[in-house]
Amino acid sequence: MRQTLRLFALLLRGYVRDRTALFFSLVVPLMLMVIFGYLNLGDFGKVTVAVDDQAKNASSAQFLQILRGVETLQVSEVPTDQALTKLRRTELDMLVVIPSDFVIALARPGQTVPQIVVYGDDARPQQVAVGRQIVSQIIDRLSFAVTQTAPVVAVKEETVQGVRLRYVDFLVPGILGVNIMQLAIFSVAFALVADKQRGVLRRIMATPVRVTSLLTAHVLTRLVIAAGQVAVLLLVALVLFNVTIVGGLAPLVVVALLGTILFLTIGFALAGWATTENQVPAIAQLITLPQFFFSGVFFSKNAAPELIRPVTNVLPLTLLNDALREISVQGASLWDVRTQILGLLIWTALGFILAVRLFRFEKF
Amino acid sequence: MTPIVQVTDLRKRYGDIEAVRGISFFVEPGEVFGLLGPNGAGKTTTVEILEGLRKADGGHATVAGVDVFADPAGVKRRIGVQLQSSAFPDNLTARETVRFFAACYDVEVDELALLRQVELEERAGQSQSKLSGGQRQRLSIATALVNQPQILFLDEPTTGLDPQARRNLWELIRSIRARGTTVFLTTHYLDEAEILCDRVAIMEEGDIVALDPPRKLIDDLLARGFTKPVLQQKANLEDVFLDLTGHELHEV
Repeated sequence: MRQTLRLFALLLRGYVRDRTALFFSLVVPLMLMVIFGYLNLGDFGKVTVAVDDQAKNASSAQFLQILRGVETLQVSEVPTDQALTKLRRTELDMLVVIPSDFVIALARPGQTVPQIVVYGDDARPQQVAVGRQIVSQIIDRLSFAVTQTAPVVAVKEETVQGVRLRYVDFLVPGILGVNIMQLAIFSVAFALVADKQRGVLRRIMATPVRVTSLLTAHVLTRLVIAAGQVAVLLLVALVLFNVTIVGGLAPLVVVALLGTILFLTIGFALAGWATTENQVPAIAQLITLPQFFFSGVFFSKNAAPELIRPVTNVLPLTLLNDALREISVQGASLWDVRTQILGLLIWTALGFILAVRLFRFEKF
Repeated sequence: MTPIVQVTDLRKRYGDIEAVRGISFFVEPGEVFGLLGPNGAGKTTTVEILEGLRKADGGHATVAGVDVFADPAGVKRRIGVQLQSSAFPDNLTARETVRFFAACYDVEVDELALLRQVELEERAGQSQSKLSGGQRQRLSIATALVNQPQILFLDEPTTGLDPQARRNLWELIRSIRARGTTVFLTTHYLDEAEILCDRVAIMEEGDIVALDPPRKLIDDLLARGFTKPVLQQKANLEDVFLDLTGHELHEV
């Protein structure tokens, strides 16, 4: 125990002195969170609509007025040719052209009805879809008013989440998860493979040091750094983005540390397998990159193609993110996320077996 | 006196290569023993077996009274080692490096006193990675002394050092020996062996081909009627270099 603590104190000191390592474990995660927090990727924003009113009559004025009244839309009047240029530059989401024969009136059977043309920016399909929807709804309502028929079905819109979920609320647990993964895998794999290559491990193993002491000291060092990372990220989330951790900090930290241990075992396995430092980033990326995208870090885990979802849903980072998110957003307790915790423990056991098989301090 | 190292019929093979072919020798307590030989002669393999880092295929070896094969950890506790091509943990100062190894042996040491012993006291707070080659070798010796070993193994300690740093290290090795510590070193520099060693074993392709004090090996050679084909120069370029740059510690 005393030996472990002495080694731990020195390893930690060395780690903290390493500016590059510190940059990657504290500054990069922070940058990720601040950038994505402000980018507000999940925020839909407004749909910018240009209207070219070629009719200039009472009907078109009425239509335009209703359009302007819709909160989601930001409406401006722009001639078609100018608007099309803006559309191509993606400065606009949509262009609505009201034809000169536009009129809201009953049509005689066989008469051609005026056609509103809607152009959309393909780069923002979601916004365009919503815009089109709104335009057709307005037309429908105007038509109903004229034809004096009532809709046969009504839709009442409600959100599923009790509290309104902002993107940052969704993002913060994901950022925590992904950084825990990166820190644990990269910091162990890079440091130990470098030690192996440079003969540091050989030199250490020429002493009667207890391998468990050395190993524990390495793990403790990473746990402290991970705890520091989680603390910094949470502080920024709470202060800068007003994120509320509904389920409380304690269960969140417990799950975060469980996740750290899980990814540490993978880091050790990787460090055991790799013989040169060049192999580390390749394999580490192979492990982390799919999880980066499919484990619900920046957007829902359901963004993964349906075919691979059975796999992506049980990836270590998916389980970790799910647990963190349920605690932080939905106020789940540790007992509520027991399935994910069980999953994390199973992965940890697998990682541990792999690490023990691949990593041998005595070998160097 | 009982030998501090006793090796009997030691064997080691790597695949088809017989790296060590049944060598036997002993080392007396308090002497500087040199294992000489060209690269690939089996010196490092022999030393690493004695240090408990490698398993032998056959034979018997005791170091400081401990059976190396039965209790490698016991050997490691009693010896000090300096390995070829090894390094220290990153981002530690010289003093912390010594402390790290003291922790590895689970002993308390006066780090500064140890650093003073290898003339690195002023470098105590400096990052070990910023030390010069000679300073790093001296630090390496300091880390090998944390457990007050009965015997110190040095594997090619002066390889890659400039002439002054070499001479400096020789002084250090002499002072360690003067304190009663046995020194077991490997080298491929014959001048080093001649100056430092009480006895040398010459290895060639896994065998010991000669084992005696350097002076005796030379006398035996002369007795066999050996003469050097060219006249020995009164001085060589190394003497010029040392004369111009001085024998004292000049490293920065």
